[in-house]
Amino acid sequence: MFRTVPKTTLLAPIQRRTLLNGNYPKAYPEHVPLTCLGRAVLAVGSGFGTFFDSRRGDLVATLGEATAQPYFIYKLREQMLKDPTGRRLLREQPRMTSKSLDLDKLRNMKVGSIGRTYVEWLDKEGVSPDTRAQVRYIDDPECAYVMQRYRESHDFYHALTGLPIIMEGELALKAFEWANTGLPMSGLGMVLTPLKFKPKQRKRYFDVYLPWALYNGFRSKPVINVYWEEVLEKDAEELRRDLGIEQPPDLRQMKKDMAKKK
Amino acid sequence: MLRSTTLQRLRPAVFRVQRWNSTTTSAPKPSTTHSDIVVVGGGPAGLTIAAALKHYPETVNKSVTLVEFGSLDNLKTWGPDMERFENRVSSLTPSSVEYLTKIGVWEHVNRDRVQAYRHMTAWDGVSGSKVQFNTTQLMGEGRDIAYMTENFNLQNGLLKQLANKPNLTILDKTKVEGVERTPESHNKPLVKLSNGSTISTDLLIGADGANSPVRTFSGIEARGWDYNTHGLVATVRLANEQQSAWQRFLPTGPIALLPLPNRFGSLVWSTTPKMAAQLKQLTPEQFVMMVNCAFNLEPTDIEYLVEHPDEIMTDAPYRLSQRSSNPDVPCPIVAVQDKSRASFPLKMKHADTYIAENVALVGDAAHTTHPLAGQGLNMGQGDAQSLAIAIRNAAGRGADIGSTLTLEPYWADQYFKNHKLLGVVDKLHKLYSTRNPLVVGLRSLGLDAVNSVKPVKDFLMSQAS
Ligand SMILES: Cc1cc2nc3c(=O)[nH]c(=O)nc-3n(C[C@H](O)[C@H](O)[C@H](O)COP(=O)(O)OP(=O)(O)OC[C@H]3O[C@@H](n4cnc5c(N)ncnc54)[C@H](O)[C@@H]3O)c2cc1C
Repeated sequence: MFRTVPKTTLLAPIQRRTLLNGNYPKAYPEHVPLTCLGRAVLAVGSGFGTFFDSRRGDLVATLGEATAQPYFIYKLREQMLKDPTGRRLLREQPRMTSKSLDLDKLRNMKVGSIGRTYVEWLDKEGVSPDTRAQVRYIDDPECAYVMQRYRESHDFYHALTGLPIIMEGELALKAFEWANTGLPMSGLGMVLTPLKFKPKQRKRYFDVYLPWALYNGFRSKPVINVYWEEVLEKDAEELRRDLGIEQPPDLRQMKKDMAKKK
Repeated sequence: MLRSTTLQRLRPAVFRVQRWNSTTTSAPKPSTTHSDIVVVGGGPAGLTIAAALKHYPETVNKSVTLVEFGSLDNLKTWGPDMERFENRVSSLTPSSVEYLTKIGVWEHVNRDRVQAYRHMTAWDGVSGSKVQFNTTQLMGEGRDIAYMTENFNLQNGLLKQLANKPNLTILDKTKVEGVERTPESHNKPLVKLSNGSTISTDLLIGADGANSPVRTFSGIEARGWDYNTHGLVATVRLANEQQSAWQRFLPTGPIALLPLPNRFGSLVWSTTPKMAAQLKQLTPEQFVMMVNCAFNLEPTDIEYLVEHPDEIMTDAPYRLSQRSSNPDVPCPIVAVQDKSRASFPLKMKHADTYIAENVALVGDAAHTTHPLAGQGLNMGQGDAQSLAIAIRNAAGRGADIGSTLTLEPYWADQYFKNHKLLGVVDKLHKLYSTRNPLVVGLRSLGLDAVNSVKPVKDFLMSQAS
C-alpha cells in the first residue's frame, strides 16, 4: 500500500490522488507530482515564507519551482535549444558537486580565472556546491534538469558578476537572472523584498544595482548556456566580455565608503 | 509617359495580328477547324471535364478538343510498380470518388495503389492540443474520410476512360499561344496553337492551372496572395502499414503525412521557402531524421536542426529519445524515395469570376489554396461536375452551350462554396502560423473544444467530404 518515501522529500508522495497531490506517475526519482491546486498552495506558502525569511534556501527553491511551471521553464529550455552549447548541456546533463568540480584544483588555478574566482567566492561566503536543493516539483524531466542547472549555476553567476550574498547583492543577482532567464520567481523577489530595506539600502538598490542588473541581464547572452565546467580556466573578465556583461561596483566596498562618510 | 510607351508597344502587335488575319486567303493557309468545346489543360480538372462531357448522352456528340502543353506519353504508359509511388498525391473525398465512379472513370483507376483512410489526427505543434476524427464513430461503419490517390493514377484512369471516345481529339505537346475574337468568328474564341493551327469554338474551358493563360486572355483578374510558403512533397517509407492521416501545425506551416499502400506515405511539409530549400539539400538519412523530428520535437528544435544540418545525425537521435512515445504521432519514417522531393510555392488566389461569354474556368485556373485541407484538387472535381451538368442541361434544351446564361448555374453553384472554403483554409493557415502565447492558448481551447464536442466535429467532417 505505502511506498517507502525518501527522507528528503518535502511532501510525501501519496499514490492516491488528493487535493494537492496528482496521481500521475513520477517522471524522475525525486519527482513530486502535484495537482494545479497543490502547485498554487506551494507557491503561495513558499512565497510567504520567503518574504519573511529569505535565508530559507529550501523555500526559495520551492518558490522558484512552483512559479516556473508551466510556461517559463519551457521558455528557458527554448533558450538552451537555440544554442549549440545549450543543447549539449541538455544532452550531457552534467551535475555540479564538490566532487565533480574538484575544488582543490580550482584553488590552484590562476588568479582571475573563472574556476579560481568561483572557489574564492565559495570560500569567502562559506558555501559549497553541495548545498543546492534537488528539483522535485517540475513535471517534465528535461525541464527539471534545466531548473537544476540554473540553480547549480547560480554560484557561478556570483563569481561572474562579483555580487556578494548580502540582501542587496542577492537581489541584484535575482534581477539580473530575471532579465536573463525570464523565470518569474527572481522577478518577484526583485520587486517585493526591497519593501523590507532600510531607506539607504533601498536607494542604493534602486539607483545602482537594479539598473545595472536589468541592463546587463537583458543585453547579455543567455548565461544558462555557459558550460561552466569547460570555461574554468578562462579569465572571468574575458568571459564577461564574451557574454556582454559589465562588472558592477563592489557592494561591500561601497558600504564601507558610505559608513566612513557618516 | 509610361502609358504611351506601353501603347506603342502594344499597337504593332495588334496590327500584326490583323494583317495576318486579312492575308489568310492568299498566304499558305493555316488550318482553322471548329470544335464545339476546347479544353485547355490535361491536368486532373481538364481530363475530368472531358470525361464528364463524354459521359452524358446530351453532350457525347459535341466535338471536344483537349490541348495539353506537356507530353501525355508518360501518363499513358504509366505502370504499376508497387515499389515506387509518385510524389504528387491528392486525397480524393468520397463525393469526388462518387462522381468519378458515376462517369465511369473510377473503375480505370488502379485501386491497388489507392489508400483509403478512416482516421485523422491534427494537433498543435506549439501547445500539443489535438483533434481526432474517426469516421467509424462519426459517419457510420465502413465510411472512409478520403482516398489517397496519385495524381498520375487518376489522370491515367481518366485517359483510359477517354480512349476511343467519339468526337474527341487530344492534342498533347501542343501549347495554346493566344486567343482572339474577330468579327469573322462572330466574336467566338479562336484558339491559336503552337502547331500553327487555329481552332474556333463555342466554349473555351480553361483548365490550365494556377497561371491560367485562358484566364489572362479572357481578361479575368485573379486576386489573392502569396503565402510566402513552399509545399515540400516527398514519398516516404514507413516502419509499418498505416491507415491513418496525421497533420501537425508548426509555426512555419503544417506538416502532413498521408498513408499510401505497401508501407508508403505521402508527405506534404509546408514551410518557409528557405527551409524548404534546405530540406531538399539534406542527404536522404538526414531528411528522414528531420521528418521524424518534425512530428515529435518542439518547433525550436526543428528550426535549429535545419540550420545545423551537420548536427542532425548526432543531436536529433538524442532529442527524439527524450520524447516519451506518443500514440498520436505517426510511426517512424524509415526512408525517402529518391528524387521524390520537390517543392511548390503556395498561393491563395480566386478568380473574380469563373465565366465569360464562351469561356469557363475550372480547377486551379479558377482558384488555388493552401494544401492543409487537401481540397485543391477536390474543388476542381466539383467544378468539373457542376460545369458538365450546366452544359448538359443547355445541350438538352438545344441552347447555346457557350452563353453566360448557360454557364451561370455553374458559377452560382461553385463560386461561393469555393470562396467559403478558401477563406476557412486561409484563416486556419494564419491562426496556426503564430507563436503568440495568447493566440496559441485560445486556439488550443478551440481545438480541445472541437475534439470534445461531437456536433462540432460532425459538422466539420461533413464539410470536409
Ligand atoms: C504541395 C501540394 C499538395 C497538394 N495536395 C492536395 C491534396 O491532398 N488534395 C487535393 O485535393 N489537392 C491537393 N493539391 C492541389 C492539386 O494538386 C491541384 O489543385 C490540382 O493539381 C489542380 O489541377 P488542375 O487540373 O486544375 O491544374 P494543373 O494540374 O495545374 O493542370 C494544368 C495543366 O494545364 C496545362 N497548361 C497550362 N498552360 C497551358 C497552355 N498554354 N497550353 C496548353 N496547356 C497548358 C499544364 O501543362 C497542366 O498540365 C496540392 C497542391 C500542392 C502544391
